Amino acid sequence: MGVEELLSQFGGKYAQAFRMTWRLTILAFSIALVLGVAVTVLRVSPIKPLRLFGDIYVQIFRNIPGASLLIILVYAFPYLNLVWSYFTCVLIAAGLIPSAFCSEYLMSGINTIPIGQIEAARSIGMTFTQMITKVVIPQALRASVLPLTNLLVSTMLTTAIASQVPLNPQELTGLVAYINTHAVGGVTAFFISAALYCASAVVIGRIGSLIDRKVRIRR
Amino acid sequence: MEKKNKMQDQLPVIELKHVDKHYGQLHVLKDINLTVRRGEVVVIIGPSGSGKSTLCRTINRLETIDSGEILITGEPLPKEGKDLARLRARVGMVFQSFNLFAHKTILDNVTLGPTDVLRVPKAKAREEAMQLLKRVGVDSQAAKLPAKLSGGQQQRVAIARSLAMHPEAILFDEPTSALDPEMIGEVLEVMTELAQEGMTMVMVTHEMNFARRVADRVIFMDAGSIIEENSPDEFFDHPATQRAKDFLNSIKDH
Ligand SMILES: Nc1ncnc2c1ncn2[C@@H]1O[C@H](COP(=O)(O)OP(=O)(O)OP(=O)(O)O)[C@@H](O)[C@H]1O
Ligand SMILES: [Mg+2]
Repeated sequence: MGVEELLSQFGGKYAQAFRMTWRLTILAFSIALVLGVAVTVLRVSPIKPLRLFGDIYVQIFRNIPGASLLIILVYAFPYLNLVWSYFTCVLIAAGLIPSAFCSEYLMSGINTIPIGQIEAARSIGMTFTQMITKVVIPQALRASVLPLTNLLVSTMLTTAIASQVPLNPQELTGLVAYINTHAVGGVTAFFISAALYCASAVVIGRIGSLIDRKVRIRR
Repeated sequence: MEKKNKMQDQLPVIELKHVDKHYGQLHVLKDINLTVRRGEVVVIIGPSGSGKSTLCRTINRLETIDSGEILITGEPLPKEGKDLARLRARVGMVFQSFNLFAHKTILDNVTLGPTDVLRVPKAKAREEAMQLLKRVGVDSQAAKLPAKLSGGQQQRVAIARSLAMHPEAILFDEPTSALDPEMIGEVLEVMTELAQEGMTMVMVTHEMNFARRVADRVIFMDAGSIIEENSPDEFFDHPATQRAKDFLNSIKDH
């Protein structure tokens, strides 16, 4: 089948799948950001067990494949009486893994903050929480816009693990598999999905560098 | 002389009693006893590595001490937590490297402490911050980020940030050492005004003429101990110890 024929037959499905991919990406990335910030706060906290917990968290989720995590959530967790929808399982897997990377980027962002600013914050009487929320995390985020932009792209690619489970509607990769079982889409079906991933990544990259230019702190 | 007599009656703002501190094997502060009364300007001088910065930092508990006692307006410094944060805000600190919050505008640098720590309403904090910025001569820069300002301007903002907390005293650790020569004057001028207005100040400085002009008392430190403590004229004209003489000679050569 050619591109035109594929699109006339499956155009609506591609549009749905494209929306699904974006939906998963945005939700998973939001989870990654929130958890990434939270874990980073633990990793710089004055309480040692919390720091240790944060470090272990990052080591775990940085080092397991998303697909394995998804399989565990879908097939093993029900034995623990934890049954979630496929959609939720995909979100958890596609959110937890980038959260570890998010924390790594924030940690290197924190390292760009001169220690003197922390001392200045302490000397005006800020508590640890105030220092973290008003001085440390805002600067770490500003310093991490470019790596976080890349993380958003890679989160989008990670959502392809959803093709491992029956999701309705499917996302871009799942759709390729679907088309290939219902028609002779072949490489072309894959090519259309790939083009949509690429276009999204280019847009994300552009927006990321615009934001970076705006918020990056020149020292 | 008259001022000095008056000072004897003033309440102590900062008291250090038998303070000792080590960094590993290094004994950085040795049995330090020091009382700074309200309105007093105390200048700490001494050779590099003598413990001047460490002394300032312990007063604000940016560094812990091994033994002894530090009181701020009669209250002992708590070990940690919210109480420490609260008491710490009563002593301001101005650093050699300014340390403004790089992501916040000049105005927000000054209002952050009042709004978040002292819970002053935003509008009131802004109004007061603008007055303080005016007082140190950088009100026209209020909307800019610190990186856009010269070192001298940044240091004056740092002083305004300290003042915004209405501190009982301000510590200055070599506030002009990181500045280009042409900017030193503007910062010293602000500090001189503060001293004249009766702010209690403890400062480490290498600006000897300035020290002589504004100090009520000079403390000379060497190797972690206070070696001499005297009026500026007495200290600079008639240092009592050989170490102080050597130090004063060594800086005259520059
Ligand atoms: N965090 C630290 N760990 C270990 N040693 C330190 C630390 N900070 C300072 N020291 C040492 O303690 C001693 C006193 O340092 P301090 O900075 O108080 O001296 P100073 O009088 O301020 O010197 P300078 O005029 O160079 O600023 C020095 O020998 C210094 O090397
Ligand atoms: Mg020093």
